[in-house]
Amino acid sequence: MRWILLLSILVVALFAGCAQQAEKPKATPAETPAETPAQTPAEKPKPEVVTVVIGAPLSLSGKYAKEGQMSLWGVKAAEKWINEIYGGIKVGNKVYKIEVKYYDDESKKENIPSLVERLITSDKANFLLAPYSSGLTLAGAPIADKYGVIYMSHGGASDRIFEQGYQYVVQTLSPASKYQTAFLDMVKELDPDAKKVAMIYEDNEFAKAVFAGAREHAEKLGLEVVFDKTYPKNPTDLTPILSEMAAKEPDVVIGGGHFADGQLLAQQMAELKINVKAISILVAPALPSFYEALGTKAEGIAAPAQWEIGAAYSPDAAKELGIDWFGPTQDEFLKLFKQFAGSDKQPSYHAAEAAAAILAYAKAIEKAESIDSDAVRNAMNDLDFMTFFGRWKIDPETGKQIGHDMVVIQWQGGEKKIIWPPSAATSKPYYPIPTWEEKDQGKLAVPE
Amino acid sequence: MRGVHTLLIIYAILLIVGLTVPGMWQPVAFLMFYVALGQAFNIFLGLTGYVDFGYVAFLALGSYGMAIAMDSLYQTGLGAAILPIGLLLAALMSIMLSLAVGAVALRLRGAYFAIATIGVNEGFRYLIEGARLWGGSEGIIITGAMRKIFGREMANFISTMVADVLVFGIGLLAALTTYVIIHKRMGYALMAIREDEDAARVMGINVTKYKIMAFITSAFFAGLIGASAWTLKMTYVFPSDVFLITYTVEAIVIVMLGGAGTLLGPVVGGITYGLLKYYLSVILPGFQLLILAPLLVAIVVAFPEGIVGYLKERVRGTRFEGYIL
Amino acid sequence: MGFWEQLASNLVFGILLGSVYGLATMGLSLIFGVLRIVNVGHGAFLMIGAYAAFWLFTLFGLSPIASIFMALAVGLALGFITFYSVIKRLIGAPELSTLLATFGIGLFIEELAKLVWGPDYRGYSWDTPYISLGISAISFSKIYALLASIVIAFLLFMWFKKTKLGMAVRAVVEDKEGAMVCGIDVTRIYALSFALGIALTVASGVLITLFVPVGINPYMGGEYTLKAFVIAVLGGLTSPWGAFYAGFIFGLLENGSYTLLGLIPDVEPFSLTRFIAFTTLLIILLIKPTGLLGGEEM
Repeated sequence: MRWILLLSILVVALFAGCAQQAEKPKATPAETPAETPAQTPAEKPKPEVVTVVIGAPLSLSGKYAKEGQMSLWGVKAAEKWINEIYGGIKVGNKVYKIEVKYYDDESKKENIPSLVERLITSDKANFLLAPYSSGLTLAGAPIADKYGVIYMSHGGASDRIFEQGYQYVVQTLSPASKYQTAFLDMVKELDPDAKKVAMIYEDNEFAKAVFAGAREHAEKLGLEVVFDKTYPKNPTDLTPILSEMAAKEPDVVIGGGHFADGQLLAQQMAELKINVKAISILVAPALPSFYEALGTKAEGIAAPAQWEIGAAYSPDAAKELGIDWFGPTQDEFLKLFKQFAGSDKQPSYHAAEAAAAILAYAKAIEKAESIDSDAVRNAMNDLDFMTFFGRWKIDPETGKQIGHDMVVIQWQGGEKKIIWPPSAATSKPYYPIPTWEEKDQGKLAVPE
Repeated sequence: MRGVHTLLIIYAILLIVGLTVPGMWQPVAFLMFYVALGQAFNIFLGLTGYVDFGYVAFLALGSYGMAIAMDSLYQTGLGAAILPIGLLLAALMSIMLSLAVGAVALRLRGAYFAIATIGVNEGFRYLIEGARLWGGSEGIIITGAMRKIFGREMANFISTMVADVLVFGIGLLAALTTYVIIHKRMGYALMAIREDEDAARVMGINVTKYKIMAFITSAFFAGLIGASAWTLKMTYVFPSDVFLITYTVEAIVIVMLGGAGTLLGPVVGGITYGLLKYYLSVILPGFQLLILAPLLVAIVVAFPEGIVGYLKERVRGTRFEGYIL
Repeated sequence: MGFWEQLASNLVFGILLGSVYGLATMGLSLIFGVLRIVNVGHGAFLMIGAYAAFWLFTLFGLSPIASIFMALAVGLALGFITFYSVIKRLIGAPELSTLLATFGIGLFIEELAKLVWGPDYRGYSWDTPYISLGISAISFSKIYALLASIVIAFLLFMWFKKTKLGMAVRAVVEDKEGAMVCGIDVTRIYALSFALGIALTVASGVLITLFVPVGINPYMGGEYTLKAFVIAVLGGLTSPWGAFYAGFIFGLLENGSYTLLGLIPDVEPFSLTRFIAFTTLLIILLIKPTGLLGGEEM
């Protein structure tokens, strides 16, 4: 028994070591030294094809497993589009093809530095995607910065990352402070009488940044924040804080933090029959599982989203703004996404933002006509273009995303519709939302 | 002394591999974190047999110590002196907590002690978040502060090299401390306590004194590990990331896998665990825990004395005896 | 709504919640009381119960009340399997081994659940009437949860006091050697107690979905494990009945302290309730390690 166990541990370790040996040559075929250490000529038929490796630590297990899975599918879709449909990035007589190399970081910070270094040195990654979440993004940044490899954040929303003075950290998604602002703009526009805003959110770094931004914006709009309270991670019961909030009789409620607590928030507001004119919850309603879990109770609930199916970003929209279009159209992306995720899966914005990060690299390589880190980083400063995910433009100083706009989605008749801003909307906002009693009767939040 | 030789050889091999093979420094640093964590925890868990489930709180406080020093002193022009100040603060904070916990919780035994320490860890975390202590749930990000003190190059060097070397040194120091303790009066006293605490007391051993000494020593090293492996390396501290009991469990696994109370145990355990984890995440992304978990259970059931403990039995009486300690 | 009304309504919810907490902890205390093993993988079993309720409702439209019985059966099976494959070898082993082994089991179950069911956050809508309380409301599903939990606790109590097997379990707890002499197969009693403890935990997972039917995911158990530790200690750690009462106390404490802590400016009162909970745990362990309700055995 003991020997068998010892043996099996050894075998696993050996297998691990061997597999490591076996895959190494694959990842670094016939390196060309010195000037272009990262260019790795692939098979013969097209001699000028060069593989560009983009390294990505993804959270495939642990607390960000859901987002990580979506990111992976999004990344795969973008990779396939660039290589097969777009035919690679053509620069001079070279064609750059993208290869995404990824590892599971388990959503844990101490795995990040070693995986990032492995991606840079052993897999010769030319560029990096940052891991999901602000914390993990920060954990890998020193290594990326040390090697001077661009490190693109597709899930680290915190504004604070970009206040630290990193040169190689760039952001593709809108920063945390912008998450709830569009919703407040919408309320202000639709209903001048709505004055009282309640904020109820998770006590964590991300949500605090979101609601600090929301509070500032609400005061700028002349709204009154009547309730501003947090709950700790993984709450099992929100009734005390919700009944306290109900006593303030708010017109609109904004709140949330992550998946489970967002569902809980909506569920318990329904149970306590706390009726307000509009609700916007972070993160949770953006996934189909929100509606599956809550049923018609989810009707009318809104959420900020980095992107949503149906977002009106198209080559035409780009032309109107006078900027370039790059990447697959939305339909193409959906088709590619399903090839990897399965036909029954719909992408969430986590998939789209990861795909957009890959596309932004391709666009920047095209513009820089090089895959040199500094050249690409410089090219990014002048880049202003649109993908299916939206506009992409960074602040040259900090690398923070300033071009991209968030949308507001709302569950209407079992479907997620974009309701704000009007230029991207696929449906009119349903306002005020049906009461919980009406929803119990089967009323849907579908505008005529 | 030959046991120490084996230890030094393993450390030297790690160091050489990390420094000479390109791209291996971070993986080696990753292993070193686990080795150091195991060494530090072994001083308490291995030698006394007390299971401190809230051990991670010492690492967390250490990481806060460094972060607070960086965050509050970076404008004073103290420059590089902030680094030792941070380490000192980290050690001080974790020692203070260990004194407080030791004074009260060490009176409990077995499962009661384990649960009490969980309470300390969780309680502390929610105190920080709830009372908005040290930035509350938003934590402290010191990247900017580090770059202002040391400049970009040096700040990166600290995060990607100095921090790892520090962890290396702490691990070594903890191992040597273990060696010294094992061969001193304290070691024999602790062994007696581990076997039968009441009997040890009756024999006139000052049980409380030795337990607390081991506890404080262990916490001291934990604080230093937190300050370097977390704060200096990751450049941020979020309470939700540092008070995670998973780290305690990892530390227990390492100590137990290697062999509790042995000198070489944490090194062997840390390297084995780290390698398994690292290569599984590389080869089978997403499935490593599914493989590690049953392995963990199997080890507990079949090798309760750990790899080193098992080998120690096997080589007893042979000429290798002295090398395995 | 004034301060007192809020406090009162929170306390009502605290009692409802406490009943679920109580049942969710009884399994932990039962296992510790008989086998002296702290089941660190507690939450994973609870998660299985929550999924059972979810799947039975979603696939077969089975009411969660009926799912409780299914959950008990699943839990018994799971408990026996776990006992005979792992736990049996760890009876009398040092804490280090048992804590780690149960943690490993929990981790394995969670990862397996993630593999099979995916990392999605799920939920179901079981429509029940509700009682309106002016500004807020109590749904009947919560009252069902309270009743179910009391019934299960009572049945267990009767089983221990009246049946032969139940008495055998108590005999083993009181005097292992004596029980052996009387011809009781101690290992079998251990197996039964462990399986029963797991069954209770799985069943409480169903009740938790009655209370909160959303947010069901593979990692949901962790929070309940920590709470169960606190509650178990409040109740004396070795006594399932103590744990059941302590659940109510904890529910009241959690909800009541929220209202009081809200009076302090510039803090996050909800996060502080957890600080209060864990501080209470420490105080009780130090002053009265046998629990608030005295060292009542089973």
